[in-house]
Amino acid sequence: MTELLLYALLGAGLAVLAGVAKGSMRRWVIGAGLASLVVFAAFPFSRARGFLSRDTVDPTLLALMPTFPLLALIPVGVLVALVLARRGGKAAGLGGALGGVLVMVAAAGWYAQPVQMVRLFPVEGLMELILALGVAGSIALLTFGRPRQRGPLLLGAVVAGVLTFMWFHAPQGGGAYLPKSLGYYKLLFPTAPTTQQEIADAYNRALPELNAIRKELGQDALKPIQSLADLQGAIPQQASSEGYRLVQPATTQYGAFAVFFLAGLMLGAGLMQLRNARLQEPDDWRAGILIALVVSFLIPAFDATEFDLNKLVVGWPFLQQFADKAWPPLLADSSAERYPLQEVLSQIAVTVQMALVGTFLAAIFATPLSFLAARNVTSGSPLMRSVFYLTRLFLNVLRGVPTLIIALILVAAVGLGPFAGVMAIAIHSMTELGKLYSEAIENADKGPVEALESTGASGVNVVRWAILPQVLPLFVSYTIYNFEINFRSSLVLGLVGAGGIGYFINEKMASGQYDQMIVGVIAIVIVVNIIDFASSWLRSRLV
Amino acid sequence: MIEVRKLSQTFQTAKGPLTVLTDVNLEIPQGDFVAVIGRSGAGKSTFLRTLNGLLIPTTGSVVVNGTDITRLPKRELQKYRRTVGFIFQQFNLVNRLSTLDNVLHGRLGYLPTWRGLLGLYNEVDYRIARQQLERVDLAAKENARVDSLSGGQQQRVAIARAMAQQPTLMLADEPAANLDPVLSEEVMRTLKRFNEQDGVTVVINIHALDLALKYAKRIVAFKRGRLVFDGPPAQLSEDMVDDLYERKEMLA
Repeated sequence: MTELLLYALLGAGLAVLAGVAKGSMRRWVIGAGLASLVVFAAFPFSRARGFLSRDTVDPTLLALMPTFPLLALIPVGVLVALVLARRGGKAAGLGGALGGVLVMVAAAGWYAQPVQMVRLFPVEGLMELILALGVAGSIALLTFGRPRQRGPLLLGAVVAGVLTFMWFHAPQGGGAYLPKSLGYYKLLFPTAPTTQQEIADAYNRALPELNAIRKELGQDALKPIQSLADLQGAIPQQASSEGYRLVQPATTQYGAFAVFFLAGLMLGAGLMQLRNARLQEPDDWRAGILIALVVSFLIPAFDATEFDLNKLVVGWPFLQQFADKAWPPLLADSSAERYPLQEVLSQIAVTVQMALVGTFLAAIFATPLSFLAARNVTSGSPLMRSVFYLTRLFLNVLRGVPTLIIALILVAAVGLGPFAGVMAIAIHSMTELGKLYSEAIENADKGPVEALESTGASGVNVVRWAILPQVLPLFVSYTIYNFEINFRSSLVLGLVGAGGIGYFINEKMASGQYDQMIVGVIAIVIVVNIIDFASSWLRSRLV
Repeated sequence: MIEVRKLSQTFQTAKGPLTVLTDVNLEIPQGDFVAVIGRSGAGKSTFLRTLNGLLIPTTGSVVVNGTDITRLPKRELQKYRRTVGFIFQQFNLVNRLSTLDNVLHGRLGYLPTWRGLLGLYNEVDYRIARQQLERVDLAAKENARVDSLSGGQQQRVAIARAMAQQPTLMLADEPAANLDPVLSEEVMRTLKRFNEQDGVTVVINIHALDLALKYAKRIVAFKRGRLVFDGPPAQLSEDMVDDLYERKEMLA
């Protein structure tokens, strides 16, 4: 609870800072308010346990509302804040402060709730609807680029949406592939005291049997319970499979932190605007929506990536130990016949050579492909047009596969060593260069093309004399830049066994010879900087 | 002899169809010097680009010495185009190449494709190119990169490129619009010289009316896609010019 209030204070503090800097406060009220609505409906807030760990449900605030109706104050508070934000000035400030307080009071009220038994109510069709809306929405987005085909596109969007819904909802359709998704969103309803008593009684009746098993496992016997609040650990299996869960208000999920942070932000921003009514701007709504979007994607992402600075503190001794063993670097030890510097230099050379050969091959193959993938060069006939689409498709699909994945596959095919790395770099770079080259061709000045066409020159000669001289310097520049990137990716390729300095570092790291590994790291830092510098100097001379 | 018959041009734009030329009929005998005048958007550029097949008209035809060039297959069209020089307002030179290379481009239509690709011009092509450079007083600059030349010099390179095609028809789309008055006169004089010495038919789009009246043998005027005047410069009255440029309406 104190931690949650800290988050609220953090939000308020940020708002006050922004307000002192004379930033618009209304946009933070709007942004935090809209984000709170997202958190309210979609972020896990608390935890409800069943018999097995996979029975656990993390309900949202909306899902908890049937159990604790006071939570309705959250959307009400946000609504008040948003409506008053439209009026602007002191009213907007008052709305922000009021909304923030209401949200905080309602959310805090939840923590005064006892541990209690609830029953799950899966909302049928909701996830299906969201997916269908997503599909229909992305098709409808196309209308921005093609205003003349708005009618058919919107019709297509609706049809695709309906089909998606039907497929996803059918047991043999989406249900077979995504079994968790159907009825994923669950509301939690309170249970009558009599039902709770029945579950408690059932638990007590099954207790002797359970204790017999626990005795065999050497565990302590469990005592009979008076009410469900006395339950330690899991609820009975029978009740769990009937859809009963034990809600523990004290267990917080990341949605709880988000709610308190956003409420603090609303409150702080509202108060700052009450103090100075002019802290608002005309584009606050757009900015607010942007803030809400960023927050709604960022918060779950932090949770999903298990972001936790505490781990760094725990892992600190390892870092210290690493530094102790890595310094001073071991350049050579003639008594043990070990010469890391020698090895590093030759491996760095191999890495540079991998990048060189890979980039060269990529440029050779990308050049003809890029002309086929350029819209303006292939507008002549339907045949050329289809070649254009095929080349584009080929490049786009292949570009989607990262160099590392290509290297992994090639290592399996041709064995460990630099050859796999070279081929991986060549294949991936070809797609990158193909795209860059073809964009250069498409952006070439049309004037000379028209001029050469009107001299009666044939199509290939127009390309050769009007386009090629224009794009050649760009091609060279892109290729040098690509070499720079390829050097860095060939470092990583060493880690999957494709040779070079990356392989050396991986090996020394695994065997704990940090003082040799650090020689490789220092060499990489130096060479990367040399190549960056040389490449940008060369490119500045070219264009 | 060029015969333009019932020429109409309609473009499909995002805002719907846009008619640029409506029912244009015109005959241009060999050796004529025609100045096409009219306001911006009157259809002058479209008309010019239709004459060498850069644009295909929606309806109507352009008959040159008995052949309709608007419906030619690609190879035949290229063969026709090499007899038609085109000079652009923006010069449209290949900036990174030398002056001589740019003039030689005028010879590409006469070479087999593979020789063109490798830049294997014949002796005669070099001779023609150098000769044309000399005629526009740029023989000394043949190895200079085009982007190092001044605007007037660049336009002369473009004229030399068009002349290297040894054309029977020369089209010029506002060739002097990007140049100062002195250079404009110079470009017009050059075209006049080619017209008189080589017997090249010249059709030129121009909105500098004084230059048109001074150099052209014949004035053709477009207003909103329609041909509204065709005759010698002397016949073009003040009233007609006012109507053409819609001056009264603009003042009102």
